[in-house]
Amino acid sequence: MSPFQIVLLVVLGGMVAFIVQAVVRGRLGRPAGAIWLIVLGVGIIASIDPNSTTALARRLGISRGTDLILYVLVLAVLQGFLIFYLRLRRVRRELTILVRRLAILEAPSNRPSDAPAPDAATGRSEA
Amino acid sequence: MSAANHQTGLSAPTDLDPEIAAGTWVIIPVYNEATVISDVIGSIRTVFPNVVAIDDGSTDGSWDQVRRSASHPLRHLVNRGQGAALQTGTDYALRQGAARIAHFDADGQHRLEDLCRMVEVVASGECDIALGNRFAGDVSQVPPARRVLLRAAVLFHRIASGIELHDVHNGLRVLSRRAAERMEITADRMAHASEIIDLVARSGLPVQEIPVTIRYSEYSRAKGQRWTGGFRIMFHYLIARILG
Repeated sequence: MSPFQIVLLVVLGGMVAFIVQAVVRGRLGRPAGAIWLIVLGVGIIASIDPNSTTALARRLGISRGTDLILYVLVLAVLQGFLIFYLRLRRVRRELTILVRRLAILEAPSNRPSDAPAPDAATGRSEA
Repeated sequence: MSAANHQTGLSAPTDLDPEIAAGTWVIIPVYNEATVISDVIGSIRTVFPNVVAIDDGSTDGSWDQVRRSASHPLRHLVNRGQGAALQTGTDYALRQGAARIAHFDADGQHRLEDLCRMVEVVASGECDIALGNRFAGDVSQVPPARRVLLRAAVLFHRIASGIELHDVHNGLRVLSRRAAERMEITADRMAHASEIIDLVARSGLPVQEIPVTIRYSEYSRAKGQRWTGGFRIMFHYLIARILG
């Protein structure tokens, strides 16, 4: 086993521990936790036996295991972008609602609506 | 007789029925317009007493000008875009009992007499929504590049919204209370103009395009949309249509 494989296994093992702890403490739902553990499990197997990805790739009609990993990574990154975009969009909308509501709450609506018009030449009011 | 502002060139006939003028609340979204906004608001107030100016998180001191000159100054603490500012102003004006809502750009490119004519049309009950159309009259003032961009936008909306309008990105609009209540702008940024066209199409209310003149000053040209902005608007609009 190469030093890189050892480092990878330590990192993946740490992530497994983190996910398990998160599920146990209720910070992560069980379905999401299960998906993460499956992904990490596949990563651990691929780290211990890199040839296993090639075998799986061939079954799927892809010649090399590295190609399979690349395709999966591309899909995962795209999905990640989409999820982040949708969350960002929602947060922006929520921020807009808050800012708009605050603007109305802080409006000096007790001011008379028929305040005198400003001087036409200067465009400035005397207030 | 007309009221005129020497700095912005805004002028308007003052024979609009004061009651109609008082029932029309003019909404002006403001973002970094400190050099012109006082004059623009001041000119409008010579005819319309209710001017709701929303400073949209400006960083150039526009808020001080808005606070001094608008009859109803509102402030977004964070910049949320023209669409959000228009909706804030509309919500506020409707709560205050507005009979009509007018949208007016802060850079002084619209003419007050055009606004007055549009208000008269809506107040007379001829339509619920009056939209400014810069292509109905003299188009020589419209820069050629802007003309091509706006024509492309018209074509795009004819396909996307199924509505046959001739100037879909004109910021001068007048809505009856009924129309304003039916429209909720959710697009924060510049895609709101496209969203408004969609809302107009869906409202089923009578619409009229009114010939207007846009004054393209150095200032308003510098603030206007560019080609890249047009593509960004289209992208945001399509995303909003797909994702809801």
